[in-house]
Amino acid sequence: MPGRLSRRSLLAASLALPLVGLGGGCARSGSQASNTGGRVRITFWSALRGSRQVVDAFNRTQDRIQVVFQQIPSGDQGGYAKLSNAARAGNAPDVATLEYPQVPGFAIDGVARDITAALSDGLRAKLLPQALALTTFDNKVFSVPLDVEPMVLHYRTDLFAQYGLTVPRTWDEFAALTRTVRDKARERRLVLFPTNGFLQFAAYSWQAGAQWYDTRGGVWNVSLADRATRRVAAYWQQLLDDGLIFANASPGRQSDAQISQGLVLARLTGAWDAGAQMSSQPGLQGRWAIAPLPQWDPAHPVVGTHGGSTFAVTKDSTHPEAAMEFIEWQVSSPDALRARLASGTSSQYPASPALVAVGRQAFNRSYYSGQDIYQLFETEAGKIRDGWTWGPRMTATRRVMEDGFARASGGEGTILDAVQEAQRATMPDLEALGLATSEHST
Amino acid sequence: MTTTAVPPATFRAAAPPGVRRATRRAEHVACGVLMAPFFVLLVAVFLVPVGTAVWLSFFSNDEPGLGFGPEHTIFVGARSYLAVLSDPTFLGALGTVVLYCLIYLPLLVIGALVLALLLDSGAARLRSWVQLGLFLPHAVPGIIAALIWLYLYTPGISPVVALLAKADITVDFLGVHAVLPAIVNIALWSNLGYNMVIFYSALQAVPREVVEAAVVDGAGPIRTALRIKTPLVRSSVVMVALFTLIWALQLFTEPMLLSQSTAMINSRFSPSMYIYEAAFTRNNYGLAAAASVILLACTIALSYGVTRWTNRAPGELSR
Repeated sequence: MPGRLSRRSLLAASLALPLVGLGGGCARSGSQASNTGGRVRITFWSALRGSRQVVDAFNRTQDRIQVVFQQIPSGDQGGYAKLSNAARAGNAPDVATLEYPQVPGFAIDGVARDITAALSDGLRAKLLPQALALTTFDNKVFSVPLDVEPMVLHYRTDLFAQYGLTVPRTWDEFAALTRTVRDKARERRLVLFPTNGFLQFAAYSWQAGAQWYDTRGGVWNVSLADRATRRVAAYWQQLLDDGLIFANASPGRQSDAQISQGLVLARLTGAWDAGAQMSSQPGLQGRWAIAPLPQWDPAHPVVGTHGGSTFAVTKDSTHPEAAMEFIEWQVSSPDALRARLASGTSSQYPASPALVAVGRQAFNRSYYSGQDIYQLFETEAGKIRDGWTWGPRMTATRRVMEDGFARASGGEGTILDAVQEAQRATMPDLEALGLATSEHST
Repeated sequence: MTTTAVPPATFRAAAPPGVRRATRRAEHVACGVLMAPFFVLLVAVFLVPVGTAVWLSFFSNDEPGLGFGPEHTIFVGARSYLAVLSDPTFLGALGTVVLYCLIYLPLLVIGALVLALLLDSGAARLRSWVQLGLFLPHAVPGIIAALIWLYLYTPGISPVVALLAKADITVDFLGVHAVLPAIVNIALWSNLGYNMVIFYSALQAVPREVVEAAVVDGAGPIRTALRIKTPLVRSSVVMVALFTLIWALQLFTEPMLLSQSTAMINSRFSPSMYIYEAAFTRNNYGLAAAASVILLACTIALSYGVTRWTNRAPGELSR
């Protein structure tokens, strides 16, 4: 059946082609650090907003290191696949951007270098310890935190005033508010449960005291469905079952419309999202404000983080010292933060507390009616619950969980089912990698 | 994908020894030249990849414990296989593809055979136009076909869904129960005509006197089709069933594309999608290789089973 076979091979070829092209692209743009005109050239890949401006500023301020920047797709759009393929081909960039959940995976795969020795005491002292703990495994540091993003409550001030709503301080108040909003305006909802919101769900669980992974005893202890996570899952399931919240993908066309038409009154995302919203919804200037995340126990306020990035030096870097210098500048220099905020698309909360004052001063507050959001972020960052650890294969875990969320939003299964399914689908991965594992929840 | 090498037919011509030797040498050269491309391709696109997959499935870059130590390539035995077989998502994918085969295979074989018999019976007018119309979808690449059907399935943009909605019929083609039939439908649309042509050409080879004899003996058109023609094209039916089975087990294009529009198709929907995800999302080549080898083994076993079963049947009948 030649027709059949040739079609399958065509498909195989079409699958392989992007990879070939990708490899070719990497060969040109990957780690080709070389001394040209006395300057060390290093390459830098990132999907972060404002990176171009930061790189330009770095290249202007000194004449020893020339950073070649390449904007890559965000991780879930293929950015991480690009990085791991480049690393397999031996031409990863000198400096790569990794979100926190990705750090252990790339460290285990040997893509991110162990930079414990290269991390100066000065830099170590500048960074928030909770942030550095998230990139440290087995007492080895694998990447340097750029920003740390406590989850906050973004809300529509005008609609809250119109319906006479008060900002919820606890999750009970929050649940009551979802009902109030539904009753007062049938087409509006307080909030959206993102069906692709693995990271949001992780932040809710983190806050509630969950510990999905830990590495005690030199073993990956996995408990995605622990007691705290079950509580969070049940809470959102109830809101979903009662029809009090939206459940769809975000970001996306539908969720963009929900925001721009004022159908959702609040969003639960990281501090960074304040800047992202400024660029994606310019028409809503002056109608949004930011408040602390609701609490389970207001007497002991804690939060989890949503988002945040780190910089790693890859195994293929030929100039790791220059790479570290660039990273140190990016995460600790006021000029770097100013350049990023000047892009008008970022409200990054720096992992280096000394930079908060710079951020507060450089951030354009007009969108948030003059609210000092950096002040708020600083308070919230202090509440980040210690001890959270990400696991070795978060992309796969995330996909399975989000597939389950999407089904749950359509009435097939529950949020808890999605979490349990994610754990079941993650364990074979870890075992196939030869890691020592144990399961502490089912 | 199975490949059968036909051994070169050796025949001895009655000729003087010297001439015979020269002829035989020329024959060997011709044989070698003509068959070389086949073996080169067999080695390059089948044996080498299979060998690589088997190797990848038994060896791994390992770091003990948490995995942050230095890597060593070591022999890991059946570890990757155990991981795949203990993965509920892989077993679920296998189950999905089995269900898909159970729906698709009978529909395709019976549908194509019925169409071919209709055309062959002379009942159909405009025979060549019907053939062309049925065959045309096969010329559409699978990915394009999936795109077309995705458009027709998606609520909000599909004219079909809109038309049905006007008649007060709400169908969610991408819903939980309809999604597998929706994929079967795409595959049927693509392949029905192609297989119908195979059956039709086999029917053309059925001796006309056999059919005439049946008619003289008083068999009606339906009886002739089912009792005379169908058994005579049995080998074509077996071939079509075999190739369709092999193709169906590798289900990938349609669900991969539809998965972007429906939550009912997850990223590990079929074994091929599982393998793709294991390699490129989970970055776990050992797992992907082991799953590939398992899929290959299943395919070979099923093909062998189908061949054995169909070859034994006539022997039993004559007994």
